[in-house]
Amino acid sequence: MNNHRIYMDNCVTTPLAPEVLEAMKPYFLEKFWFPGTFISTGEETNAALAEFKEIIAKALHSLPEEIHFTSGGTLANNIALKGLMGANANKGRHIIVSLVDYPDLLTNAAYFEKQGFEVSYLEPDSEGWVSADKLKEAIRPDTILFMSTIVNHVVGTIQPMEDYKKVIEAADHKIFWHADAGQAFGKMHLDVQDLGVDTLSVSAHKIHGPQGIGALFVKKGTKLSQLIHGVTRVDQLQTGGLSIALIAGFAKAVEMTFNDLDANISYLRELSDYLLGKLESTIPDIELNGPRGDKRVCHNINVSISYIEGESITMMLDLNGITVATGSACASQGLKPNYVLMAMGKNHVQSHGSMKFTLSRYNTKEEIDYTVEKLAEITATLRERSPLYQAIHNKER
Amino acid sequence: MQYSQIVLDHFMHPHNVGKLENPDAEATEGSPACGDQVTMFLKVNPETKVIEDIKFLSYGCASNIATASIITDLAKGKTLDEAKKITWQQAMEELGGLPPVKVHCAVLAVDTLQSAISNYEIAHGLKEVPNFGKDTIIEELRKIIYPKVGEDIVTLKMVKYVGFNDGEVIIDLNLMNFDQWRDNIAEEIREHLKKYAEIKNIQINFPDSQAT
Repeated sequence: MNNHRIYMDNCVTTPLAPEVLEAMKPYFLEKFWFPGTFISTGEETNAALAEFKEIIAKALHSLPEEIHFTSGGTLANNIALKGLMGANANKGRHIIVSLVDYPDLLTNAAYFEKQGFEVSYLEPDSEGWVSADKLKEAIRPDTILFMSTIVNHVVGTIQPMEDYKKVIEAADHKIFWHADAGQAFGKMHLDVQDLGVDTLSVSAHKIHGPQGIGALFVKKGTKLSQLIHGVTRVDQLQTGGLSIALIAGFAKAVEMTFNDLDANISYLRELSDYLLGKLESTIPDIELNGPRGDKRVCHNINVSISYIEGESITMMLDLNGITVATGSACASQGLKPNYVLMAMGKNHVQSHGSMKFTLSRYNTKEEIDYTVEKLAEITATLRERSPLYQAIHNKER
Repeated sequence: MQYSQIVLDHFMHPHNVGKLENPDAEATEGSPACGDQVTMFLKVNPETKVIEDIKFLSYGCASNIATASIITDLAKGKTLDEAKKITWQQAMEELGGLPPVKVHCAVLAVDTLQSAISNYEIAHGLKEVPNFGKDTIIEELRKIIYPKVGEDIVTLKMVKYVGFNDGEVIIDLNLMNFDQWRDNIAEEIREHLKKYAEIKNIQINFPDSQAT
């Protein structure tokens, strides 16, 4: 275990699959051309792009023409949200988002608020779950947009998309619906026809594809105002150049993930259950954040370790060659506790002591064994130093 | 900015960590809400007033543990008067610097040492319990670090006015609403002042908003 780093922060980004690198190479080295007409280089790229689009469309159950390539998930979110709002601003002034949505959605909501729109922030329950009833209550005659994050990026809660769909469809006017599928893509079955969303964003580097490429699903017939103006090379929504090699890598990553999605999901579920079981049986005073079982995505385990602080834990794990994440204020640039945990009603200490493990298909049970063993040692060391632990411990003695 | 090797060494292998049984004085500063809390214990020679032993406990990040470790090293073997002169700037220097966002950890460690010394002096009749007043509040404000630059808010002239009358504290801060640290600073001020029984209410004003 000493020679390789154990990486368990896969919700941020994932290691590139070696097969993906191989799939990209020809497009970096030889077939670097942009799409074009009549000449063979351009036509060959057209054909390749159509094939890649088909692969991604198949994974989402969309039409190929509903898929737009973007340079990442954040770009996809911005093109969708600003595009929907730009095209529909005259129809209403009200937007709905939840307090636990992905920062891309919340920062866009804040931007729209500054532009004079009104935003309702739905509150989650103690497991990060935002009920459809809350959505229903928030809808007003002038609501034009609802944004949601299918899988919560901090605690892995799967939001009730089917129930949202019923509420949105039952509304007496059209409410546009954008979903961020960053953490859901490749971790659960997604069918955009069933979901009922108007737009949906995904990203390649969350599923062992390259960084710098993503896609936006735009339901046929949905109008978006143009966010990025420029020459159309690869996609009319994100104008300018987009790397064909990255798109090739994206398609390969999707193929690898979706060829046997059920097997991928069940392996990740098995690993997560194993990790949680080990954590709970090895480390005293540990608490799972977010739901247990099917309401939780297959690759996320988030726990709070009482009496100690997360930056210290992550640094000590790091010095042992293990990468994980924490919701501690000390580890954040803004010195703020994690907003998702706080919205769920956790206190500062629970947030400061929170550890997030997000797994990938490259993780193994052996890695989990080693990680939990090291974490147990680190927890004992830091608790010996902690005045909070000593106070409780001395009372018990 | 990364942590220096000295910080990492003190974090991984802190000196003087633990509890002292039957200490002559102790003090706890910070709070879990702010993300860090330090307790220090002193053993003081009653004749020479030399700090013969000192230990600490820390709930906090790497820099919190490292600064407490270095402060206890600096204080050990010094007389109370000598130890009173230890500053957070000195602690930072000894550690090879800290990222600006972590300077408040060094302030907290020094603050805890000074409180422990003060508690000893009060308990042994070496000084009176200080009178609470506007100066006490300003001294507390000097311990609040603006995380972006790593200097305290008084030195940075962010405090425009401090008033204290009949339990009411009024503080005017020159921080605009687009300042990402504004809420942190206000929260930290309240956290620092809440230990004073003399304070009934704290009003913090900003140039462009209602009082919080």
